[in-house]
Amino acid sequence: MSGLLVEREGGKSVKPYQPEGVWEAVAFVGSNTREFKQDSGESLYRRSLYTFWKRTSPPPLLATFDAPSRENCTVRRPRTNTPLQALALMNDKQYVEAARKLAARMMKEGGSTPQERLTFGFRLTTARTPSAKEMEVLQRTLQKHLMVFGADKPAAEKLLAYGDSPKATDLDPGEHAAWTMVANLLINLDETISK
Amino acid sequence: MDPRLEYKLAMTRRHFFGKSACGLGAAALGACMSPSIFANDLASGGAGTHGIMPALHHAPKAKRIIWLFMADGPSQLDLWDYKPKLAEYYDKDLPESVRNGQRITTMTSGQTRFPCAPSIFKFAQHGKHGAWISELLPHMGGVADDICIVKSMHTDAINHDPAITFITTGSEIPGRPSLGAWLSYGIGSPNDDLPAFVVLISRLAQGGQTQALFSRLWGSGFLATKHAGVSLRSSGDPVLYLSNPPGVNADVRRQMLDGLGELNQERLAELGDPEIGARIAQYEMAFRMQTSVPELVDISKEPKHVLEMYGDEVTQPGSFAYNYGTRQNRRGLWSPGGLAHPSRIARLVVDRVYSYRMGRQADAQADGDVWNLSTVLEGDTGTAGSGSRESTAGTRTPVPSGCRSDSRFGPGHERSAGGTRRWQECQTVPA
Repeated sequence: MSGLLVEREGGKSVKPYQPEGVWEAVAFVGSNTREFKQDSGESLYRRSLYTFWKRTSPPPLLATFDAPSRENCTVRRPRTNTPLQALALMNDKQYVEAARKLAARMMKEGGSTPQERLTFGFRLTTARTPSAKEMEVLQRTLQKHLMVFGADKPAAEKLLAYGDSPKATDLDPGEHAAWTMVANLLINLDETISK
Repeated sequence: MDPRLEYKLAMTRRHFFGKSACGLGAAALGACMSPSIFANDLASGGAGTHGIMPALHHAPKAKRIIWLFMADGPSQLDLWDYKPKLAEYYDKDLPESVRNGQRITTMTSGQTRFPCAPSIFKFAQHGKHGAWISELLPHMGGVADDICIVKSMHTDAINHDPAITFITTGSEIPGRPSLGAWLSYGIGSPNDDLPAFVVLISRLAQGGQTQALFSRLWGSGFLATKHAGVSLRSSGDPVLYLSNPPGVNADVRRQMLDGLGELNQERLAELGDPEIGARIAQYEMAFRMQTSVPELVDISKEPKHVLEMYGDEVTQPGSFAYNYGTRQNRRGLWSPGGLAHPSRIARLVVDRVYSYRMGRQADAQADGDVWNLSTVLEGDTGTAGSGSRESTAGTRTPVPSGCRSDSRFGPGHERSAGGTRRWQECQTVPA
């Protein structure tokens, strides 16, 4: 939905964003996977199928979402619903960057009015159009975010600089940041996560 | 309308079969998240829990469990397990009646013989019960009557990985839930703002571990991952993804969560799916964790006399003492299975053993660190400095002949060649 995902098949394993110190905490002093060196460019946006696995410390994002540890056969992957998942979807660089790109799409491709743009984003994330009540909530939230980021450009710039992909130069930073938070909300909807 | 009735009305047969597996999980989750559900149910029936168990078998006494798992620590033969008979066997081969055909690791199997050697540390009896405790733990001697020492634990594993997997999960083969995960599942936690099971990993001063650790040691195995230990990290966010992205403050996050909550609530009213209710609760808990966790790991507000009980390293994030000094054990967490890894301290004890074995002078710094270790351990019991700190001078026994030089502890105490190398690295660590 953000347009970042690389659709191409095949290729080598990749090391996308990972919080610092995850490997180091469990690694031997002399281990060749003690230091995590993040990839750049396209490698950051591949399907998680291509993510490099360190067996003693699986990718934290995948582990948070119940990825089996690959240490034994797993008949069915359990599904859980935890606060750590909420934190990951709200704050992980991967998802914040995706929200920024989704926001840019909503602003550029969604139409000219806030309603049209919100509907565009809502349809991308949930595959349906929002009800009147839902639209009201989204508009109210957008207004609040616009007030905050309109008045605090440095904060907006910081949010927009999160993630390696270049930020849009043709959008007002305050507005783009506010829409990024709305996109962050849409990505975190129960319906988006578990549809 | 009564939400339970509403839920039943919204349920169809298809819903039931589609969701029954998840639904059960949601019930358990709901119980963890909202202790009052079970507390109400059980108001008439005595002690209840916040987990899957409806009630406890007996009235609980423990408020919390703190498990210091010291992978790569000194041997029990140098700490708790007094074996005077070994002195008689010094430099004699291990009797077949003891070894009994057991496998030996490849690290040791190349030795020409397998001689015995006693601990080089002095043991003394402490407390009314006369527990034998080594001079390496002088403070523990002072609290000997307040602790329980279990000497019957053993594993059949001959190598670290399966052995520590066994100790933490009950099976040498990976895939079983760890102890803390079982506690989270069975008993849960009364604390709404923090996970039931937290793990703190200490590390060497220069980072990394001398023995590799595995996330399975605090994993949930075949239980749902919500029961897995939440690792409180010493660098970056204390919990993964805890901080808001740059430029987003708590007010903005609250605005976003208000909108999110309303929309999820709409969906819940429409579908009656309890998983959505659980999702709403999880986002609220995540928000509370954003405040409660940094507070938990902040030791700057602790009084000086409390910090001093934990030793000099207490202010260094990631150190054993720091991990132990954090307040997770005072916050109503029932089962924080702390997986501590005081490698540096342990290493220095090993270093010290090695120094003696090789006829070197004891390193004063190692002495200090051993002191800290016992101070830290003593902090748990809340008793201050009553132990005696005896001199470690005495006759030291050299390495029996026939052992590889790095197998300086005899069978069962072997160090790998890598261990020797790491030990050398350790020597260069500034204290």
